[in-house]
Amino acid sequence: MNTTPTLPIPISYISGNYYIFSVDAATYLRREHHICGVLIGTLPLIPQQNVFLGMPLELMPEEARLLVEKGVACIVDEKKAHNDGIKSLLEEDRKRYIQDLESQGLHARRLQLQRQEQSREEALRKKEEKKAAKMKKSAEKQQQSPAAGDVAEENSIVDFFAHNQQKEQGSGSGSSSSRPSSIMVDEPYGITPTTSYPPLSEAFSDKLLPAPDVRSSYPLFAHLHSKGYFMSPGLRFGCQYMAYPGDPLRFHSHFLVSSVEWDEEIDLMDIVAGGRLGTGVKKGFLLGGAERKAEVSEAEGNESIRMFSIEWAGM
Amino acid sequence: MTVSNAAESPPAPSSVSTLISSTPTPATPYSATAAQVLHSLQHQHLWTSLETHPLTIPNSESPIYLISGIPPHRVYTHPDEQLFMLEKGLRDEDIPPERVFALPLAQGQSWSLRRMAAVFDSLSDEDVEPEISEEGEKAQKLTEYYEGRKVARATKEWGGKRMLLAMIDKGMGGDGTVVYYVIQEGAVKPRQN
Repeated sequence: MNTTPTLPIPISYISGNYYIFSVDAATYLRREHHICGVLIGTLPLIPQQNVFLGMPLELMPEEARLLVEKGVACIVDEKKAHNDGIKSLLEEDRKRYIQDLESQGLHARRLQLQRQEQSREEALRKKEEKKAAKMKKSAEKQQQSPAAGDVAEENSIVDFFAHNQQKEQGSGSGSSSSRPSSIMVDEPYGITPTTSYPPLSEAFSDKLLPAPDVRSSYPLFAHLHSKGYFMSPGLRFGCQYMAYPGDPLRFHSHFLVSSVEWDEEIDLMDIVAGGRLGTGVKKGFLLGGAERKAEVSEAEGNESIRMFSIEWAGM
Repeated sequence: MTVSNAAESPPAPSSVSTLISSTPTPATPYSATAAQVLHSLQHQHLWTSLETHPLTIPNSESPIYLISGIPPHRVYTHPDEQLFMLEKGLRDEDIPPERVFALPLAQGQSWSLRRMAAVFDSLSDEDVEPEISEEGEKAQKLTEYYEGRKVARATKEWGGKRMLLAMIDKGMGGDGTVVYYVIQEGAVKPRQN
């Protein structure tokens, strides 16, 4: 269960967005690095179903950058990697890959059939047991009251069907055990791999991109993340991020986070709106940003974070 | 007839206007805002021992004003503090009200994170040594509470420095409404209200 993918994890950069395609990587990042991202995958046949989404996982640029800075992940130019990979793929590799997929499909098919068979046998066995119990019961009844004609008749009907069914069961189970292996196993399940590694090789070194450009809110994001908060996009509450004190599956968020620059003009209406909305949904409104000290050279990342939590005073 | 009468004797200025014009010179927009908030705290929220504190902040020619006073009820209780009080069997009203600072701001006033931080830096984070006027069991509980608070203050467990933001709108909708928000330094978890 607790699989650790090989590090650094490749983050696929596709048309301006950052994606994770491997389930192992996604669970690992969430578990070990408190990076949740947003699941965006839906079902090809039911694209309107957007309540429970699945892989792939889309990351905010901030999340991607944080992982790169931690050395956990690297950004891969997916278009280039894919094109190069497909071109360099040998015919032999291709065939082997297709064979591999086929055998996987076959295996899946077999497992499925086996399971079906098992459940069928289980059901039949239960039915048999019930019948036997019933017959025993009715036999006892007949012994007790042999005079009741209609009851005897009913019993005979039941017996008649039971007999028939038994016959069917006998012949059915005989054929079903021989059937699946000969007819259906030949058709393998179609396997849709979620990642393209393999068949493409995982040598990314020449397709790596620099760490993503991020908004000026990144210092605050990184600071809150380092304090153990799980960060998620803040669209739902009209802020920049939401900060959860633990995994969002277990906790409600504590803060609606908005970042401002040190000398950026703050509109008081934003404080009122954020503070009032936050209090209305039992959260705090967190306003913060990187402090810029006048004398120290600004280029040198010599920044500390100042942040303020705001709640409605109720007066 | 009535028109000329009105021209001769204009309506008397409102009490806020009187207050603002009677505040110490030099009158600046900041001092006027402070006067209006002070008025609201004094007469609407019944704060006592009100004081104004001029404060010089970066990139501003004239000082801004902080107001402090003693509210009739507790303004803010941190959720963990509330739990602690519950365990000790103390209620909000058992603890004597303490001096609270308020920062008057007006809609449209130039404000930034730098200024906010400067105001917070000017606040002292020392705990005022409280006097316990009660006797007996209650005094014991209060002593325990103040000790607990001292510890929490050192670790910032119950939040860091805090004050009220008192905001008014002088333009459209300048109806005398003052809205109050509790602002605290750091990430302080929200109350469960």
